[in-house]
Amino acid sequence: MSSAPRPVLSFVNFNRLRSSGATIILIAKSQVAVNDDTEYFPASRPWTEEADSVRLHGSKCALCGSVAFPPHPSCPACGAESGQDAVQLSPVGTLYTFSEIHIAPKGFATPYVVGYVDLPEGVRLFGQIEGRAGDLRLEQPVAVTLGPVRSDTSGRMVVSYKFRGLP
Amino acid sequence: MTLATIAGVGMTKFGKQADRTIEEIGREALLRAMKDAGVARDGIDEAFCGSSYGGPLIGQRILRDLGMTGIPITNVENACSSGAAALREACWAVKAGRADAIAVLGVEKLTRLGGGTLPLEPTDIEVNLGNVMPAVYAMRARRYMHETGATPRHLAMIAVKSHEYGARNPNAQFQNRITVDDVMRSRMVADPLTLYMCCPTGDGAAAVIVTSEKRARELGAKPVRVEASVLQSGLYKTGFRDMASSELTERTSRLAYEAAGIGPQDVSLAEVHDAFASAELIYYEALGFCGKGEGAAMIERGESGPGGRQPVNPSGGLACRGHPVGATGVAQIVEAIWQLRGEAGERQVPDAKVALTHCTGGGISGLDHGACAVHVLTS
Repeated sequence: MSSAPRPVLSFVNFNRLRSSGATIILIAKSQVAVNDDTEYFPASRPWTEEADSVRLHGSKCALCGSVAFPPHPSCPACGAESGQDAVQLSPVGTLYTFSEIHIAPKGFATPYVVGYVDLPEGVRLFGQIEGRAGDLRLEQPVAVTLGPVRSDTSGRMVVSYKFRGLP
Repeated sequence: MTLATIAGVGMTKFGKQADRTIEEIGREALLRAMKDAGVARDGIDEAFCGSSYGGPLIGQRILRDLGMTGIPITNVENACSSGAAALREACWAVKAGRADAIAVLGVEKLTRLGGGTLPLEPTDIEVNLGNVMPAVYAMRARRYMHETGATPRHLAMIAVKSHEYGARNPNAQFQNRITVDDVMRSRMVADPLTLYMCCPTGDGAAAVIVTSEKRARELGAKPVRVEASVLQSGLYKTGFRDMASSELTERTSRLAYEAAGIGPQDVSLAEVHDAFASAELIYYEALGFCGKGEGAAMIERGESGPGGRQPVNPSGGLACRGHPVGATGVAQIVEAIWQLRGEAGERQVPDAKVALTHCTGGGISGLDHGACAVHVLTS
């Protein structure tokens, strides 16, 4: 017996609804309410939401080919002062290492997991990882996603890129 | 190459000193060092003060009440290696012939920040996403264990060894002995690091008087020579980096060994930056005290503890002496000098001739660490 498909509100649709002025209370797997007060980090929102994935925006040096995230105005690898082309980064990477944090500054709900994720472009990203440390292993594939990472000093939720483990 | 000599040292006990001002704490250490060197206040040509959270003009605020202003005073901020970076400036100023006697101070009062993890820079991308210092080290620890087969029990053994030494140091913040099970059962901070694998926050100051060889002779002190004073910064990488080793510490120590004309096998004792137990294991390898991947075997065999072939952190290290951030690099020098003079009491390393101090600083995105300072001292 198959269960009825559950309605899924993607962040694409969420943002459309949000820009329409609606107040949205989204109870997703992170169990955190998202509403109009949501703040984004980085504020430039260097990502594109596609149907099934989130792709981060990086920069690629036209001179030496090294890729950086977030996009850099000059190349930290070779020092080129211009020629940093926008590139979309892969939506899936590999978990290099991680830790579950139990003592954290104000605004972060403990425990939460952080880790470093290696993308095929040669970029290593730091970010939060959904779930608990016990569900993760080194070298596991992880997907880029978006979600709440903390609340700011006035209690507003901050949304950023994060990761979720894949089988 | 001898850069300078150290004619006197002093420190406060490390620990929570909430009822004293940072200026009082700093003055106590400085006066002890000047007394130890037998130098009067008008014999000091210059001062360098290392502090990370001490605020503007920390050196002037401390020297003011001693009537020691007027001379050049330079304040140095380099996170946890602030004090070590201040010392380097003094050593090279003496080497350059600019001064004959320089007071170097490391001072910090962390109790005024409240508890918890150290506040980090809010513009840093990783800090915004929830990175904290324990996690920086915990993530390296997990990768190190993955690659070498080391276990959390090895990290616990480091903590036990630190406490064994700390129990012998009257200036240490923690002077109690603990067991591996105590460490494993203490609460989780950032897994795999439990509370007893993390250095405490606290208050304290340490000071040394750096002089030319000529001035040291005039003072009649038991001088210790500074044979290397090296500072490097981490390399910024947006790409992959081996987090199971420390390129920065390897590079800095290699330069220091070259400058001093010695190798790791010549080091009688080392004071290393064990902010977290896992870091000490990684630094055994980076400093050349054992081969790659052999850190766990080194602690298992007791080689870095009392009576071992390569004593590390006889002061108790950051774990037990304590880690008032900017004071640490200078406190390491104070311990090294007590050891080289044979004045280290119960924790004395027999026949200590050469001491190495290693101090890293800073959690900053994309870098191994912000800074790393290595000093080599000989009796």
